[in-house]
Amino acid sequence: MRFFLLVLFLSVTALVPARAGELQDLLQIHAEEVAKPSRRSVGMLLDDLVASGLPQVPRFLERWAGREVWQGPEGAFVFAEEDGDSLILEDIDDGTTQTVPDDGYTQLRPNGGVRRVIGSALVQFQLADPEISRRMAAVESIARRPAADQLAPLLASIEDEPDPALKVRKTQLANFLTARFGETAEARIAAISSLSSDTSVEARSVLNQILSRDEGVAPSEPEGNIAQILDPMLAPAAYYAQLVDAGFAPMQTTPAMIRAALEANIDGGTVGGVPLAQLNTDAARERAYAALAREGLAPPLVIVETRDHALGAYVFYELYDEKDPAITDAAAAALASVESRVALEQAADLALDGLSLASIYFLAAIGLAITFGVMGVINMAHGEFIMMGAYTGYVVQLFIPDYTLSIIVALPLAFAVTFGAGVTMERLVIRHLYHRPLETLLATFGISIALQQLAKNIFGTQARPLTSPDWLDGAWVISDVIQISYIRIAIFVLALLFLALILCVLKRTRLGLEVRAVTQNPGMAASMGINPDRINMLTFGLGSGVAGIAGVAIGLYAKVTSEMGADYIVQSFMTVVVGGVGNVWGTLAGASMIGFLQKGIEWMNPSNTLAAQTYMILFIILFIQFRPKGIVALKGRAAAD
Amino acid sequence: MHKSFISQNPSVLWFLAALSLFTLTVVLLSEATGTAMISTSFVKTLGKTLCLCLVAIAMDVVWGYCGILSLGHFAFFGIGGYAIGMWLMYARTETIVLDSLSGQVIPPTPQEVSDAIGNQIFGVVGSSEFPLIWAFADSLFLQLLMVVLVPGLLALVFGWLAFRSRVTGVYLSILTQAMTLALSLYLFQNDSGLRGNNGLSGLQNIPGFEQTPQAIISIVFFVASAVALAAGYVFFAWVVSGKMGSVIKGIRDNEARVRFLGYHVETYKLFVFTITAVVSAIAGALYYPQAGIINPGEIAPIASIYLAVWVAIGGRGRLYGAAIGAVFVSLLSSWFTGGGAPDINLGFYTIQWTDWWLVLLGVSFVAVTLFFPKGIGGLFDYLVRKP
Amino acid sequence: MAMLLEVSGVSVTFDGFRAINNLSINFAEAELRAIIGPNGAGKTTFMDIVTGKTKPDTGKVIWGEKNISLLGLSESQIAREGIGRKFQKPTVFEAQTVRQNLAMALENPRGPFAVLTHKKTARNAARIEAIAEEIGLIDSLTRVAGELSHGQKQWLEIGMLLAQEPRLLLVDEPAAGMTVEEREKTTDILRKAAKTRAVVVVEHDMEFVRRLDCKVTVLHEGAVLAEGSLDHVTSDQTVIDVYLGRGHA
Repeated sequence: MRFFLLVLFLSVTALVPARAGELQDLLQIHAEEVAKPSRRSVGMLLDDLVASGLPQVPRFLERWAGREVWQGPEGAFVFAEEDGDSLILEDIDDGTTQTVPDDGYTQLRPNGGVRRVIGSALVQFQLADPEISRRMAAVESIARRPAADQLAPLLASIEDEPDPALKVRKTQLANFLTARFGETAEARIAAISSLSSDTSVEARSVLNQILSRDEGVAPSEPEGNIAQILDPMLAPAAYYAQLVDAGFAPMQTTPAMIRAALEANIDGGTVGGVPLAQLNTDAARERAYAALAREGLAPPLVIVETRDHALGAYVFYELYDEKDPAITDAAAAALASVESRVALEQAADLALDGLSLASIYFLAAIGLAITFGVMGVINMAHGEFIMMGAYTGYVVQLFIPDYTLSIIVALPLAFAVTFGAGVTMERLVIRHLYHRPLETLLATFGISIALQQLAKNIFGTQARPLTSPDWLDGAWVISDVIQISYIRIAIFVLALLFLALILCVLKRTRLGLEVRAVTQNPGMAASMGINPDRINMLTFGLGSGVAGIAGVAIGLYAKVTSEMGADYIVQSFMTVVVGGVGNVWGTLAGASMIGFLQKGIEWMNPSNTLAAQTYMILFIILFIQFRPKGIVALKGRAAAD
Repeated sequence: MHKSFISQNPSVLWFLAALSLFTLTVVLLSEATGTAMISTSFVKTLGKTLCLCLVAIAMDVVWGYCGILSLGHFAFFGIGGYAIGMWLMYARTETIVLDSLSGQVIPPTPQEVSDAIGNQIFGVVGSSEFPLIWAFADSLFLQLLMVVLVPGLLALVFGWLAFRSRVTGVYLSILTQAMTLALSLYLFQNDSGLRGNNGLSGLQNIPGFEQTPQAIISIVFFVASAVALAAGYVFFAWVVSGKMGSVIKGIRDNEARVRFLGYHVETYKLFVFTITAVVSAIAGALYYPQAGIINPGEIAPIASIYLAVWVAIGGRGRLYGAAIGAVFVSLLSSWFTGGGAPDINLGFYTIQWTDWWLVLLGVSFVAVTLFFPKGIGGLFDYLVRKP
Repeated sequence: MAMLLEVSGVSVTFDGFRAINNLSINFAEAELRAIIGPNGAGKTTFMDIVTGKTKPDTGKVIWGEKNISLLGLSESQIAREGIGRKFQKPTVFEAQTVRQNLAMALENPRGPFAVLTHKKTARNAARIEAIAEEIGLIDSLTRVAGELSHGQKQWLEIGMLLAQEPRLLLVDEPAAGMTVEEREKTTDILRKAAKTRAVVVVEHDMEFVRRLDCKVTVLHEGAVLAEGSLDHVTSDQTVIDVYLGRGHA
């Protein structure tokens, strides 16, 4: 101690540089604390520093916490940077620099606890820092680790905040802090009530923290702000364990304990007077154990009845950490209101999810709807056309590294590739099988098996990436609950485009007219100079081409594998069948129904997507019972056969 | 009447003769008789192939004769396997558990035994509770009943729903495929009560015959499969040869005409659908003890599609065609995928059949559909009628 | 006279198109009747309604002495009630023999178990041969129906209807695509059949109708336009306007 006093004396008098700065003076007064700060006592020093109002203080605090303050051989504090064996010194007050050998200088190393305290003292400076990025960082650091002492500086900084957005954020954060740490109950309740319309995760966590509670058990109802009295009979085993932990009751005798006790006390051929051979029922074992317990050879037998009796004698409760019931009531009310809003937003989010799934099904199924609905041809290789489109996208990206450009190239190319594949298949196989729908089904199975294996042989079994451009990364965040990724929006837009395009082709073009003519009466169409062969070929090509484009879209958000087509084929058929064959609107209705339904079922049982799919298929099977011709059914003679 | 049935269907006699000869040959050459010219594992393969023939015949009746392209019959086959597998697994685990518990001084309670069995069986899916569907697993008789009842009821309910609403043709195929998919997805879940994707295993060990060598067991199952196939063949040949055959072929060719003749078409379809489902399940119950393991992958829709492929390649509408198709394609498939087929070196590329077999199968299937809709069986007909 | 089939006030609409419009028509026991009318007059839809293929929006279809409503019955039940139907295109089971075709149609129990355990009897064989004789296919019993000529297929189908022993036979354009001799034979078969049961023939061909020599009903736009002998209806001006006039123009 004496030594330190000496050092102090020396540093104040002789050894301080002639033009001693104000901060240096202040620091020298607390030199011991500055050199070796402790978490508990550093507060006083910080209070003094803040109270001094010196402009150098924030910078000093930062560098101190950053372990950039050194103490010179004469005890003076300097900012220093190591440079090999020498130090670049910077004066604390006037900022002059010089380079000296590091002999005699010691680095100040405040520990983590101290640095946190320094950090929170810094916050008030940072909140008013001229640099906006520093103010923002300060605000976010408060948001991450809110504490009572930050409320006052935060409130103080709001008024002079020049940036409007940050001002709003500061106000919001101050509101959160007031809700938790406000001085008066009225202020807190007002702040809490203002949170009842805020569905952000932050606001909900503030409310939950106010409502934090502890479970406990006592012989009678305890004092304090009771949140809830619990009924132990809802989960007797768990509550009894709590009772045992609290030391109020002996452990329940488990079958394993009974068994162990019996095994340890075998006396000739019997235990507790019961012959060993009879010990193959629980009742006999309990009898033997009870006998052992009576003789003091085992702890008392606690069976279910004993347990339930003990549970009835105690009160199980939840106690709020917050003492004031008015505040917890307000918080509970606010939370209830927030939660009902969150539920609404979740429903909206679910609807968005359903919509995006519906778009995917629509894209996957619309090509099928054209070939199946318009031509009556079932194409089991449709899924493989989707896969082919996705692989086309993958191959394009191998050659064109720019993702935006590659997608723009891939879409028409995928259409062209699958259009070609579709036309080839129609010419080689399907043409010979018109009016034999089951054989078409089989032949296209064969093609599907072959194509899948072929893809496996070419691209291998592992998943290939199809990377979306940067501007499709991320999500459109509407609130903490409602958000949707841009890719899904893009797929939705693509689906809409296709709906419009296909309607346009079928309703407004010569090709569409001819397709409809061939669909309704091939003989008559042929006699009017329409070549049904050509129309069938083009229709099939169109349907397959759309599958290719769907493949690129699906590949963007799911992995590209040789089996990806098979994953969609059953759903696609379901979409067409449920929607009603031969109708684009029907496919839209079918896709919407299946998309929303699947999301709905997944929401009810989120842990199990397999179960969701199972139930959905069962639902579809039942649905077809009631509307065998689908949602949009054709009536009359056209539907007869 | 019986005489006329056989005399009208000489193919039944030929089939039975060929099957008996084959069975006898295999038994004589197997390890069980000591000649050991056919390994036990190959006996199992042959026995399994006979079961596949039986399910193929059932498929032929429902598709080739009645015109219902069901993509669900391999699911019924799998259900049969699961039903018998539950007993096999339960009984064997029970033996093991009782064995290990018998060393203890204090005899186990029934609860302890059941817990230990549950732990052994369901430990892989993180459970030890017996699901409700295992309620009968301890009884061979009840579980054998399940082999018939569960797929029978499923087919009955599903068929009733589908036929009642006049779902036909490709719609029906897709609907049955959806049913199969739903079933396999359900079984893939860990909490389905059937061990999720682990499936049931160790089925080759027959409880009560732990000391019997697999050589003998394999021959017993082989002969049992042959007997089942023979019985199934005769039964279905009888069904399709009489007036019933006329009606169901009529339904295949022109459903409306049969309806306007006064037959309740839906009842007939339901009859055929259900009875073939039950036979498929019996075939499955014989197949999986020989395979040793069953998992949900076996039930996946693609399996039912392969079943249709066998029948189509073998030749629809003739029972022996279905049997030939099943034997031919399944043995060829295991030859190719098992690496039995020699690679073909094209100079710039070597065709490895493990990779290219499915491509070959797919393409030849398309070719059969296009050019030989009568399949291999059609070739037979041609040869028989020619002289 | 007691009516065998009474259709009254029946209407049916497909997508806004009224195929049958308040149609009322009756048939007596053992009557031969021809129904004519231009395309779209509702002839086939009328048959669909009677045989249960199409359910009408309104109206009644009453059958037999017990006045059963046919609207609640399925196609197969109606067929078992005694209504046989011949389609426009010959629909016989081409993969099966003539004998099998007829055997399937023979009046016998229709349940699957009865069919499964069905035994061939001399009586059934005799009935099959009698019908085959009647339709002129006695020498073709073992032939596969697919090998028959177009006319023979038509006769086989009529034979199958006769084997059903119906009380009402609905025959849709039996003479289409037949040679003159075949038509004559068809006329004979139908007239003979009409002695013991009601036979309703839908036909386009006036010559054929004339040869049937029976009461004629003219349908137009889903309703009865005229009824009577052929000479009577062909002299009716409205009929000439809507059908004959246009047909012969």
